[in-house]
Amino acid sequence: MDNSIDPRQRNFVIGLIIIGLMIIGFFGLRTARAFRQFHGHRPPPPFATEHVETDVSLIRDWMTIPFISRMYHVPAPVLFNALEIPEHGNKEKSLKQLNEEYYPQGEGVVLEKIKTTVLANQPQQIEANPDTPIVPATSTP
Amino acid sequence: MSDFLLTQIINYGAPLFAFLLFLGALGIPIGASVLVIAAGAFSQQGILDWPLTAILGLIGAVVGDAISFGIGFYAKDWVDHRFGRSPTWRNAQKSFDSRAGLAIYLTRFLITALAVPTNLIAGGSGIKFRRFMAYDSFGEFTWIILYGGLGYLFGSQWELVSDFISNFGGLILGLVILGVGIWLGFRRKRSLENENVNEKIPET
Repeated sequence: MDNSIDPRQRNFVIGLIIIGLMIIGFFGLRTARAFRQFHGHRPPPPFATEHVETDVSLIRDWMTIPFISRMYHVPAPVLFNALEIPEHGNKEKSLKQLNEEYYPQGEGVVLEKIKTTVLANQPQQIEANPDTPIVPATSTP
Repeated sequence: MSDFLLTQIINYGAPLFAFLLFLGALGIPIGASVLVIAAGAFSQQGILDWPLTAILGLIGAVVGDAISFGIGFYAKDWVDHRFGRSPTWRNAQKSFDSRAGLAIYLTRFLITALAVPTNLIAGGSGIKFRRFMAYDSFGEFTWIILYGGLGYLFGSQWELVSDFISNFGGLILGLVILGVGIWLGFRRKRSLENENVNEKIPET
């Protein structure tokens, strides 16, 4: 009786192990990199409904103007005015679509204009640190 | 494609989200996990109503899973005709049956790349539909609460979570494939050793 391992089965097992190792290597590196980025961030305070986003680097070209308006608390008409495009018919279009339609000559123009406008029109957020002692103001005669 | 879908979820809300999870459960590669994390973030930002989104999303995913289970069920005759006599196939089926619940549950949220193949295999095996649905619903519920919850927690920074989870899912898939390879190798080796021992025992 021949007890040697069937070459097809052996190749299948070796193939599985090699593919598994390749996937582990590929996604392991990516997971480690994503973890480093992820680990450096802290989520905003839970249930902070009053939290207003201020980081404009989070604006992406799949976002719509009303969405950005809500996220950054900047009125939508201000953003449409900055782009010099009508509000009507453009509310459901992404920044990428608006760029292709109104600024076909320049890639990313709409995204940059929106970032600049949001930065210039953001409501001021004053965060008082409760641990910081408040020094009473002294007046000199 | 994912960017286009994100824009449409902002515009059309929970019903579209549910429909996309339904398509994802049928095996259409839409990046459903990314959409669940994003939906959690959109809920935190007040764009989506989170209870409605979670319930509709769960329904969409479970209905999609039920249909792919049905495809497996109706393809059973063809599969039996094609592979039914193969002992390897029978062993694989027996092995799946004994761990079906765990496999169905874990592939809903941990090894999502294997969710659709698991549905098809489950449909073609002897698992009862009710049993499949119980594990499936619980797994999809875990998926939506866990991934959506992370999106909700991180809000506008959800892309960081999404990137990490997508890659982590790939890493788990690699570990599963490696584990199956090693397990098959050991099993084969053990059965060969047993055969050798049996041959060495002299006949009385």
